[in-house]
Amino acid sequence: MKKNFKKLAAAGLVAVMSVSLLAGCGGSKEEGGSASSGGKTELTFGIWDENQRPAMEAMVEAYEKEHEDVTIEIQLTPYKGGEYWTKLEAAATGGKAPDVFWLNVLHLDSYVEGGILADLTDAVAASDINDSFPEALVNNYVRDGVNYAVPKDFDTNALWYNKEIFDKANVEYPTDDMTYEDLLAKAEELQAAGLDDGVYPFACPVDFQTWYYQTVYANGGYILNEDKTETGYTDPKTMEGIQCWIDFIDKGLSPSAASLAETSADAMFEGNQLAMNFAGSYMVPEYAGNDAIADKIDCVEIPTFNGVEDNCINGLGYAVYEGSKNKDAAIEFAIWLGSAEAQKIQGETGVVISARSDAQEYFAKANEAYNLAAYTNHSEEAYPLPVCSVAAELYDMEANYLKQAYSGELTLADACAQLKEEADALLAK
Amino acid sequence: MTGGKVKTTVPKKKATSRQKKDWFAAYVFIAPVTIGLLVFYIWPFIQNVWFSFNDVNKFNVSTFVGLQNYIEMFQDKEVWRTFGNTLKYVIITVPVGLFLSICIAALMNSKIKGTSIYRTLYFLPSVTMAAAVSMVWKWIYNEKMGILNSAIRALGGEGHGWLTDPKTALYCIMIVGLWMTVGYNMIILLAGMQGISKSYYEAAAIDGAGPFAQFFKITIPMLSPTIFFVMITSIISGFQVFDVIYMMVGKTNPAYESTQTVVMLFYRKAFDYGYKGYAAAISIFIFAIIMLITVFQLIGQKKWVNYD
Repeated sequence: MKKNFKKLAAAGLVAVMSVSLLAGCGGSKEEGGSASSGGKTELTFGIWDENQRPAMEAMVEAYEKEHEDVTIEIQLTPYKGGEYWTKLEAAATGGKAPDVFWLNVLHLDSYVEGGILADLTDAVAASDINDSFPEALVNNYVRDGVNYAVPKDFDTNALWYNKEIFDKANVEYPTDDMTYEDLLAKAEELQAAGLDDGVYPFACPVDFQTWYYQTVYANGGYILNEDKTETGYTDPKTMEGIQCWIDFIDKGLSPSAASLAETSADAMFEGNQLAMNFAGSYMVPEYAGNDAIADKIDCVEIPTFNGVEDNCINGLGYAVYEGSKNKDAAIEFAIWLGSAEAQKIQGETGVVISARSDAQEYFAKANEAYNLAAYTNHSEEAYPLPVCSVAAELYDMEANYLKQAYSGELTLADACAQLKEEADALLAK
Repeated sequence: MTGGKVKTTVPKKKATSRQKKDWFAAYVFIAPVTIGLLVFYIWPFIQNVWFSFNDVNKFNVSTFVGLQNYIEMFQDKEVWRTFGNTLKYVIITVPVGLFLSICIAALMNSKIKGTSIYRTLYFLPSVTMAAAVSMVWKWIYNEKMGILNSAIRALGGEGHGWLTDPKTALYCIMIVGLWMTVGYNMIILLAGMQGISKSYYEAAAIDGAGPFAQFFKITIPMLSPTIFFVMITSIISGFQVFDVIYMMVGKTNPAYESTQTVVMLFYRKAFDYGYKGYAAAISIFIFAIIMLITVFQLIGQKKWVNYD
């Protein structure tokens, strides 16, 4: 009997430990949702960024003051590791998603397919949103003529530089009107002047949004075709837009892609090891809050490519949950979040660029130490990211092949050919 | 159970009402654990099995597809590649980890000063968050600023991209994995060693057995049930390795392919790409492999595990 018991215990233990691995898949149902109690409409508001919580709280407070019959509860779930989306998806399945929640373009298509987003077309048409926001930003959230979200904020990119490194090398600072060739020349000038050990003029990590999509689009290349059935990786113009960054690495003007995979361009820039770097507007609070560099840096516009302004634009919107018990109240709140008042409150915190045209300027005003207008000067000409319902997988696939081209393991043409074949098969699925 | 096939039958007696009462009380006491197990482990497991036969999207809308997930899985090169990485991890870390923890436990068991300090030091990594451990090791291994390369350079050597070279990355991760688990296994083995009666050693010493003979002839055989336990749990956790790799190797790292384990693939498919049905099939596959290996071990243990 004793032996039997031991075997049983061992088998049981194995079962429990193995099962614990599987348990993650079940999809837990989260608390949340909304209810009406005591005559007051209770709404929940899902967000992911702790840095933006004060702004969201201020907006909620302002709204509650105007609408005494509504109370709004903010639910914060971290973005990291996909936690926000996992929870949102599970909650939506269980009918308990927040009434109003942040949504980015990357996830829009699959959420529309999943049928969890409320149709905001009429409410948007009745408001001033179509007239007061850049058209591209509103259209980011339109599918088949239906509005699914109110634009919240956007992010674009800028070229940052470290004045100390430039001073030491006796090279003139970058300017707003530079071209790609100027950037390359400046990097070569810095290299020729001799930088300290381990310091590089620029960095080119395998990064789509902040680096190569900008030049791919400016060069007339494309990633996804109109009807999202085919990728454009083997288009010579697309490849040129990628190759121009690999050139920096080959010339020794940027650390290798492997090195940047380990120590990110941002970490190097913040460690005074990069003279110049590209960074999205969401990096500004981090740069400005880092005492090691805060006083020595500034930014200018992204250099033009072939004479074309080439910035990538991405951002968030406020979406309403289709299964909300107080859908009308939720829609009213979401529309209000796009109002001049709400966008001003958000903009004045300086954490993000408000999407509304008349509120964009607050971002630059909130931190006058830097030339932050570089982010907003050409926002109306910026390119939105290519998205489709399998975007997350496509981006991973792209990174996987392109990193081999960056490291020289494959030629760019080979990497792109293999990538296109696999990516097209994915789109066809 | 000698001979393996003889069935032991317990003669059945009718339970008295007193016994029934006792049983009821016993059931009440084990209920919280049992219910917890049912709700948090067994039920999700059953659901997971069901998922694996369905095409489940992000929003848990599922359509029955039969064995298609499994067919697709066995043709998926990525599954085999990640499984290969996982196998490599297990085959290397389990024996090495076992060897190290037995050695350390034996040293801890000897009468030296400050054993409790050492014991704490060795155990500390096991109670530290894996995420924190990974971050620290990531910096140790860093090609440019890591302390490891700094030390090598100070000694006149050349630095190396430990975590970005596909040839070294997985081994570097194994070292972190070992560092984190050796302490825990050591504590279990130490407890096993302290349970061995002193009289064996006294008798052996009288018969002229030296410390090595004592270790191999008494400690190891007497410790075999504990070693067996540690081996089973290490193999299981080895197959499930995830957090350290997730934290240490990013998607643009050239060593990404050579370090991805099958659990990481499962995670990516389920939570990044939203293929929950397919991911469920992968997890069932891992479960089946672990189960199979464990069954073989349970059969094999008769040859070497000593329960007397």
